[in-house]
Amino acid sequence: MKTLIARKVRPRPALITLGIALAALSLCSCKPPFSDRDDIHEVFRFSEAGAPITMDPAQASTAYENNMVTSIYDQLYDYKYLARPYALKPRLATGMPEISDDGLVYTFQIQQGVYYADDPCFPDGKGREVTVHDFIYSMKRQFDPAMLPRGEWLWRGKIKGLDAWKAAGSDYDQDVPGLQALDDYTLQITLNQPFPQLVYTLTMGYSSFVPRESIEYYGREAGLNPVGSGPFQLESFTTQRAVLSRNPNYREEYFDLAYEGYAPETQGWAGLEKLQGKRLPAMDRVEVYFMSESMTRWNSLNKGTEIHFGGIPTELTHMVASQLSPLKLRPDYADRFTGMSAPDFGFVYMAFNMADPRIGHHEDPEQDRRNLLLRKAIRAGFDWEQRNRTFYNGLGQFFPGIIPPSLDAYDPDLPHTLGTADLAQARAYLQEGGWTAENLPRLEYGATANVTNNQMFEQFRGWMERIGYPREKVVLRTFATFGDYNRAIRDQEVMLIPIGWGMDYPDSQNVLQLYYGPNQSPGSNLSNYDNPEFNRLFEKTKVMLPGPERTALYRQMNEILLRDVPTISGMVRTSPFIWHRNVIFYPSESPHGSLLKYAYISPKTAEEAQH
Amino acid sequence: MKTILRNFLASESSRESLWSKSFRKFRRDRFGIAALIVVGVYAIIALGVWVGLWGQNWSDISDEGFQGISRDHWFGTNLIGQDIFARAIAGTKTAFEVGLVVALSATLIGGVLGAIAGYFNGTIIDEVIMWLYGCIDAIPFYLFVAAIAFAMQDMPYAMHVAMIATFWSSTCRIVRGEVIKIRNLEYIQAAHAIGVKPLTIIYRHVTPNTFHIMLVQATISFVGAIKSEVILTFLGLGVQDGVSWGTMLSESINEVLRGHFGNFLAASGFLFVLVIAFNMFADALQDATDPKKISS
Repeated sequence: MKTLIARKVRPRPALITLGIALAALSLCSCKPPFSDRDDIHEVFRFSEAGAPITMDPAQASTAYENNMVTSIYDQLYDYKYLARPYALKPRLATGMPEISDDGLVYTFQIQQGVYYADDPCFPDGKGREVTVHDFIYSMKRQFDPAMLPRGEWLWRGKIKGLDAWKAAGSDYDQDVPGLQALDDYTLQITLNQPFPQLVYTLTMGYSSFVPRESIEYYGREAGLNPVGSGPFQLESFTTQRAVLSRNPNYREEYFDLAYEGYAPETQGWAGLEKLQGKRLPAMDRVEVYFMSESMTRWNSLNKGTEIHFGGIPTELTHMVASQLSPLKLRPDYADRFTGMSAPDFGFVYMAFNMADPRIGHHEDPEQDRRNLLLRKAIRAGFDWEQRNRTFYNGLGQFFPGIIPPSLDAYDPDLPHTLGTADLAQARAYLQEGGWTAENLPRLEYGATANVTNNQMFEQFRGWMERIGYPREKVVLRTFATFGDYNRAIRDQEVMLIPIGWGMDYPDSQNVLQLYYGPNQSPGSNLSNYDNPEFNRLFEKTKVMLPGPERTALYRQMNEILLRDVPTISGMVRTSPFIWHRNVIFYPSESPHGSLLKYAYISPKTAEEAQH
Repeated sequence: MKTILRNFLASESSRESLWSKSFRKFRRDRFGIAALIVVGVYAIIALGVWVGLWGQNWSDISDEGFQGISRDHWFGTNLIGQDIFARAIAGTKTAFEVGLVVALSATLIGGVLGAIAGYFNGTIIDEVIMWLYGCIDAIPFYLFVAAIAFAMQDMPYAMHVAMIATFWSSTCRIVRGEVIKIRNLEYIQAAHAIGVKPLTIIYRHVTPNTFHIMLVQATISFVGAIKSEVILTFLGLGVQDGVSWGTMLSESINEVLRGHFGNFLAASGFLFVLVIAFNMFADALQDATDPKKISS
């Protein structure tokens, strides 16, 4: 009996260890997620649907890449944070440029005493002063084929001698007559012909000031080792996360509400007054998480406190908001979040790859005519209104053609019937073109692989089935990442290209250039449309100053696109955004680059901290 | 007289083939029969979709999404107005197609290589085959399948190839072990002694005696392939163009929080019943074809 009792009470180290471990685990599980982070008010964490592939301004072409580039590099100009409609402001420039009477010579002054971030590419690792020579070097890079540039289309044929410089072999030691440094801080750009959008293009990531040392030091790795003079520097980067930290060398810049275009009557609710007088960037550190699934992003925002700003997935909007435009959150969410619905400064559309003879341009005029009828039939079967209801909460705004309502050349008199499917008309087009189920070409719909894109494809296939397209002839071609998809588009490999365009500046020229023949892929003309009549009008308008005559020509070009159907366009989406109540932020889509320097998390009050 | 008759019947019984005994034993297993009926129903559904009798409207869309349960839509509709029941039915065909192709191919490859490795046990041939399946087994299954499916994602049969490339190894290992046992039996030694060629011995005398193992392995591979297809499709690496229970489950991620359970219930229900039924069927088959259990 004694032995039995002794055996029963003998301590067992394994069980004790297990017990302690379980107790520790249960204690840990009582804490809310991420509550052990002390830096909750010093780090701005948010997510994006796609990851950048490169942060080299010469190559960065997606919105995700541009966001990083404009956070790290400086450009000459920027847009005022809060002004609507959008208004330009100097960034590295000291003021707006002096323009010669003939509109061909622009003279810019840049700020003195602006330094690049410290980096091993510089002697002793200390960032040197920014000069206009860096701008000239960057512009040359856009015309150097070895750099695989993406922004050349913006300035092609416009700056004196730059195209000739490229043709002569892109020798960086050779001068370009149209890009002159009058001194270290004065830049003179001479144009071949007037280019009214020039200053707009100098807000873009492509026109960033890049130090030559960094490109020569990092070589092919420059895209992952950005060195700029902007508010942030890149601390680390993976395909899941990028970490930006305050650039210690960043010049003194203080936030001025009035200067940024603050309108208290419409923006007063956002608490932006707390930002007044703060030195920028307002946060020491920014962490960007790349998550392709909207629900994952939502969970990150909603269940932890690690991400401070985000959108509401379409599937959940009814649960989160009682009204979408203007946004009104349900009480349980309103306690924790604030938000707004903001229209995109851009639109979504589906381009046809006109370089694909199965559906686009064809040498044989008869086949070309049949292809046009096929594209018209597909457009007639495409139902924007249904897409809007299904995927955009009914908040999207359809517009015919390529000029959206936010631009001055938008024509409200164009027929909005193109926004709804007309099945009888679609079948009539097919019949007129002699298209039957047997001879219709296989339609390859490109998209990055995710649930929403898959459902958009299935909806498109359903529409095509309704007009008589055999199901097996409408196929999905998926790509693992947006970068892969973008690359395939640039290589002219995708037949049907559903995509979005974030406008670079508020001028219709920026959307019409998407169909200018010389801009074909790998340029911005993804549909590889090439119509001499359209090209002639584009060349004529690109030197014209804003005015009724130019607007009339823009509208004429828009009608050519409606006639030739290189695209099914388009819809401006309105997205509901929400963010934690202690975050001070005012979201905007393009044409702004990065707004991260304005992002601010107000510290908790003593009462909040106690709570 | 009774004794003579009993002895006669006993001798008749002992002459009954192994397959016949297995069949009798299987018939006595009620759960096995029930599972077979369920699997049969799924097979009929899949066959019906294949020949075009039903489930053809899985891609049709309607103007309104998330319609409730009705006579027209037994499980309601999804976001873009597709009938969930029709998609679940069509998904059965996808599952069976993948299951059959993978199970047959993997069993065939595994059986043949296993028989060769087992017969030539201890030789370089055996070493090479063992090294091959050792390498494949060393890589985590889903990682390997996902890598192959991703690398070949433009090919319509990438997923099938990926699964066959991994599934054959377990069959190979088990068949090899059985063949090592069989090759030492007297009748094989006798065949060898009278000069029958090794490949003929493998084909005529060894492989038929591993059929019961391959049959069970095929059923295991079948259900494993269906599960893997659903998982890979859920992850975006499987079925791209057609419909699959995996597609439905991935759609349901966004729908469940919105209060729409049709896709989730239909896809997981169809998958659950089939997997349970097939596992029970495989168990019953294993019991029925195990020579030790039959003789007892």
